[in-house]
Amino acid sequence: MKKRLAILSILMVFVLTVPVYAGIPLNTAQSAVNRVLEVLRDPKLKSPAAKEIKKEKLRVIYKDMFDEIEFSRRTLARNWNKFTPAQRAEFVNLFEQVLEKAYIDKILAYSNEKVNFYKETMISENQAEIQSRIITPSKEIPINYRMIRKGNQWKTYDVVVENVSLVQNYRTQFNDILASNTPEQLLEILRKKVKTH
Amino acid sequence: MKSYLLSIFLFIFLAGGPVYGSDSIAAPANTKASQAVAVADEVNEPAAETADTTADPFEEEYQNGEYADAITKEEKVEIADPLEPFNRAMFQFNDKLYFWMLKPVAQGYKEVVPEPARISVKNFFTNLGFPIRFLSCLLQADFSGAATEAGRFGVNTIWGIGGLMDPASSKELDLKMQDTDLGLTLASYGVGHGFYLVWPVFGPSSPRDTIDLAGKYFLNPLSYITPWYYPTGTKVVEVVNRTSLSIGDYESLKEAAIDPYVAMRDAYIQYRKKQIKRKNNKAGAAGVQLEQNLTKSGAN
Repeated sequence: MKKRLAILSILMVFVLTVPVYAGIPLNTAQSAVNRVLEVLRDPKLKSPAAKEIKKEKLRVIYKDMFDEIEFSRRTLARNWNKFTPAQRAEFVNLFEQVLEKAYIDKILAYSNEKVNFYKETMISENQAEIQSRIITPSKEIPINYRMIRKGNQWKTYDVVVENVSLVQNYRTQFNDILASNTPEQLLEILRKKVKTH
Repeated sequence: MKSYLLSIFLFIFLAGGPVYGSDSIAAPANTKASQAVAVADEVNEPAAETADTTADPFEEEYQNGEYADAITKEEKVEIADPLEPFNRAMFQFNDKLYFWMLKPVAQGYKEVVPEPARISVKNFFTNLGFPIRFLSCLLQADFSGAATEAGRFGVNTIWGIGGLMDPASSKELDLKMQDTDLGLTLASYGVGHGFYLVWPVFGPSSPRDTIDLAGKYFLNPLSYITPWYYPTGTKVVEVVNRTSLSIGDYESLKEAAIDPYVAMRDAYIQYRKKQIKRKNNKAGAAGVQLEQNLTKSGAN
């Protein structure tokens, strides 16, 4: 009996061994951003013809860094339930394209600004906020990454630029649209937006 | 057999320890928690993982009301917009003003004037904004802020060649500009935003922040130059100069937005809210500091 208890206690110690997460979210965000900077600084990709290759590489990093579904779900909040699974899939896809179109040129226009990661705050055991700054000659732009732990990975689900949360900003817009439109109509608006640019 | 039961009970007790409740999300961020050890809940984890891998993520039903509530509760920032038709019209007006007038002018100016010079011009105008920041600090009883502002103004006016440079922000002096205005002062007195208001030319505002706009005019030394068209002229230079340093910002906001008007309104309100929050945190921290000092001196 005692032996069994001993084995069980040892087992418990193993099972309950506490992984330390402090620092991991910050490192995850920082390494992803560094990978982006590497692509942008790559002298081999400097020619305009290599733009598509750059975009493709950035997409891979984006997928790695962000949890698109969490991102979309949070922008729709309660409205997520009004969407059918097929509509959700389309929404996630369209929303991603909207974001890419809006921000890719800004990102590709990067010219050696410094990026500083300096603080990590645990919001809860599974959520963290990472603070960073982009330093340009005329100003400093604070950018925060909100991250969530999915399994063993930390994924970004919101970006806060100059104190404005992207998720919150889109949530207000989608809420406004969905107050008088159906999910299908919202998808149609997004489809148009993706096409016209 | 009893010991078995005991250990199982102990296991559940220990493993179930950290509560992953919805309120932990809403709980204020604890700075100390950054060093705190996050405890992996081995009991919850397999469940979460199976949910991630087995079910098609799009099939997942997020009927869990608590979850949705937790997300939206995180930060609910809204403002009443009873004048929406008027505001939308003004938004359109400002939009056209930007694309047809301001942007072309600022682009031309940018071609001619090199960036360091434009930054100096920006510094010059920022330095002249000293009276309103100083007064706002005083009205909020933020005396260290007021002292910082006064120090900055002195240093930058004398050693920064009339404010063209910003030596006060250097590492050695570290006198940072106080991010405050009359709108935030009123907010610290508990005055609410009221409703959303878009002014032609001046852009997003509210009744409370309109008082700040008026204050900025009356407390700016440049407003008192005669003849009358000089202040207007300097104002135009200031705006064109500022725009030349941020061409592309408005465009990308508009480009990224599904409804640019709502996006702008939300960005404005979120930005102001965070400024107020930061101010309150600062005041709170100062209060705690003061209290500690008092108790210390009391102990002595």
